[in-house]
Amino acid sequence: MKQVVSVSLGTSQRDHRVTISLLGADVAVHRMGVDGDLARAEGLIADLDGTVDAIGLGGIDRYLVMAGKRYEIKDAKRLADAAHKTPVVDGSGLKDTWERWIVEEIIRNGTINPKMPVLMVSAMDRFGMAETFYHYGFPVVAGDLIFASRINYPILTLDELVELGHKLLPEMVRLPFWQLYPTGDRQLESAEGGAYDEYFHAADIIAGDFHFIKRYMPQRLDGKIILTNTTTQEDRESLKNRGVRLVVTTTPVLSGRSFGTNVIEAALVAVSGVTAGCSEWIETVKKARREFSHLTA
Amino acid sequence: MDLLGALENFATECNQNQRLRQMNRDWTRLVELWATDTDLRLWLRSDAGLISAGVGSAADADLKISAREDILREVFSGTITPTEPYNAGDLLVKGRQDDMMRLDIITLLIWGE
Repeated sequence: MKQVVSVSLGTSQRDHRVTISLLGADVAVHRMGVDGDLARAEGLIADLDGTVDAIGLGGIDRYLVMAGKRYEIKDAKRLADAAHKTPVVDGSGLKDTWERWIVEEIIRNGTINPKMPVLMVSAMDRFGMAETFYHYGFPVVAGDLIFASRINYPILTLDELVELGHKLLPEMVRLPFWQLYPTGDRQLESAEGGAYDEYFHAADIIAGDFHFIKRYMPQRLDGKIILTNTTTQEDRESLKNRGVRLVVTTTPVLSGRSFGTNVIEAALVAVSGVTAGCSEWIETVKKARREFSHLTA
Repeated sequence: MDLLGALENFATECNQNQRLRQMNRDWTRLVELWATDTDLRLWLRSDAGLISAGVGSAADADLKISAREDILREVFSGTITPTEPYNAGDLLVKGRQDDMMRLDIITLLIWGE
């Protein structure tokens, strides 16, 4: 059986093991949270190197891909460089393909339509999803500055999103990652005050990183559709209790939780031997998407 | 250009930038800058997004930034980004993380790619 470990900067409280079936092979997946401790993650990856088939980087992106440019997060590079034999993936190989397809699928099946306002809590880390919403004419508010930096400035157009991304990302990726994104137990905190509730209330669709959604969501989300991943059964119960109409996960729900894209990408690399840089990658992702389609959108 | 001149130009750039004015409309803060090698102290103030600068200490500052004078001048004139000296330990910041990040973003929006 193929072995995959997702080393996550997130809380160890979400650790789990599960076996999934993908492209005709079984894959044992183990998620190991390091509670935001970058050095511990680096050591763990070095220890795992050569002993498993693929390693996923969880709770951190290595690459942010935006409008033809790719920015590498310095702390993630440090983690990936700790392995020399085993491929290390961060999910970005799926985000730019799979997440575009998910949006197109739920448009096609009538779950969403371009009259529905979208709040993308962060779009620079999910540019493929954001670009697809813009492409189909959805009114989109990108909340990168709001939720990552507490600057109350909604980004309203694709052009401005790209302009800001190209100005900010070259420097932002050099900062310590904990300054950019909640890691460890900070992922379990909820923001107080409801300062940004208006953006949630104005949207029909709330999309993007679940830790940002969870941290800032208001008490009521009546009738909203949530498009995200890395949710647990408890998270989905919480959303339901707030009145959410539908939760669409971009990654499959297996054993009660939807996995990070890094896990799915790592499993795919483990069973196929194909990585995101290979010419067969898109076709491999399409095959996996077909297998999992009944478990997501 | 001396450090005060750089800060005054920085304030002008911010105040003439409509996007920055909108972003900082709810940001009222006092920032103290201390040039550690010359013991020069200056301040920057954001009053609901309207930026001003001057000479003198600001004991009750929300954010305190210290570095050599040449580094402060280069950061606030856009010659270098704050990340470079910050990561090297040559620029120290005391205050809320959000305020530090906002100043970083302001400099990038004025002088970024």
